[in-house]
Amino acid sequence: MSAEGVVPRSLVSIVDDDESVRESLPELIRQFGLDARTFASAEAFLASEFVNDTSCLVLDIAMPGMSGTDLWQELTKRRQMIPIVFITASGDRSIRRRVLAEGAVECLFKPFSGTALREALNAALQLR
Amino acid sequence: MAERAQRGESYFEYEHRLVMPDSSLKHLHLIAHAVHGENDPPQYVGAVQDVTRRRLAEEALDKARSELAHVSRLTTLSSLTASIAHEVNQPLSGVVTNADACLWMLDADPPKLEDARDSVRRIIRDGNRAADVITRLRALFSKRAFTLEPVNLSEAALEVVALTLNDLQRNRVVLGSELADDLPVVAGDRVQLQQVILNLLRNAVDAMIHVDDRPRRLLIRTEREGADAVRLTVKDAGIGLDRQTMNKLFDAFYTTKSDGMGIGLSISRSIIERHQGRLWVEPNEGPGTTFAFSIPCLVENGAAATDTKVS
Repeated sequence: MSAEGVVPRSLVSIVDDDESVRESLPELIRQFGLDARTFASAEAFLASEFVNDTSCLVLDIAMPGMSGTDLWQELTKRRQMIPIVFITASGDRSIRRRVLAEGAVECLFKPFSGTALREALNAALQLR
Repeated sequence: MAERAQRGESYFEYEHRLVMPDSSLKHLHLIAHAVHGENDPPQYVGAVQDVTRRRLAEEALDKARSELAHVSRLTTLSSLTASIAHEVNQPLSGVVTNADACLWMLDADPPKLEDARDSVRRIIRDGNRAADVITRLRALFSKRAFTLEPVNLSEAALEVVALTLNDLQRNRVVLGSELADDLPVVAGDRVQLQQVILNLLRNAVDAMIHVDDRPRRLLIRTEREGADAVRLTVKDAGIGLDRQTMNKLFDAFYTTKSDGMGIGLSISRSIIERHQGRLWVEPNEGPGTTFAFSIPCLVENGAAATDTKVS
């Protein structure tokens, strides 16, 4: 099943301090016909040249240093309203309620299925 | 008591627990001793004391102690479970994502076989990472004999930090780490040293639990100490300790925390001393306390910088 997008491919930026996640997610997301870049920290993403080009952020919540929610706040402050799909290794279901209420597109709990991710990304990209 | 009196016993001491007409409880402490008067039937002189309040206070204290121990164990267990779950979920997530990607690659037209193989290789790597987490955790909490091996304190510290990250996040601790890249290796028992680091980290978190007017900064640092030792420092921004408390900190008395996951400071100190090192505490210039330990390095020919006794 191929889902080639119209040129240019939308960029999904992935911010997660975990190596397994950073190695696997972009490979899957590229199968969806999207472009993907990874960052090991929120600080690294903010310092990169890809903030403006990012159509959707896939964000880990708990990270050493700046957390995913901190990054969200910072982007809001800078008026960069990038749609966000949170991913978290925590099992706390109330997190999802909270971030959805504050406007996140989705919050997925690791391990999550490729289908769930794809649906979340589609929803996010429609917002752009 | 009458039966015992009949048998000629001369000293009695009893406690009675009475249920009063209004259903309240009273505890009575009764003592009596025989007085041999002129008449045949022995007489007794005694006293009855209402010890209700003291007894109830003691029972309440016992109950509070065992509840505290229970809650402490549960908190520790639940905190530990959360940490394990968090650590294992990461490579598991990698496994599922890589597997999903693999299926997409196989379903592509034409199938992307080399990419699919790479995905499978990553799955194997993730599976091993999950296994490593379990091994590390098992090692950290098992009882074993003291074993010597070359240990890089920066790496050992990093592993402990990874395990407690969840705990730190939940307690809103701002973690700073300055772990030296080029730290010389020490001869030591990796697991025991990690238990010490864990102890210091948890104490630091506990010290900051009521701090709300400033960031809960926790700094962990490793560095060389002089030419032949390494030092690990844990600095918190907590309530701090006065001189008196600092002197007593390493006494056995201070390790009565029923914390199943960690070990007390007196045990930490004896572990470090077994490594021919020293563990000490000093107040910060600002708020909070700094704990540090230093251990001699492994000298190039494989011997420790000083003799190491293994018990």
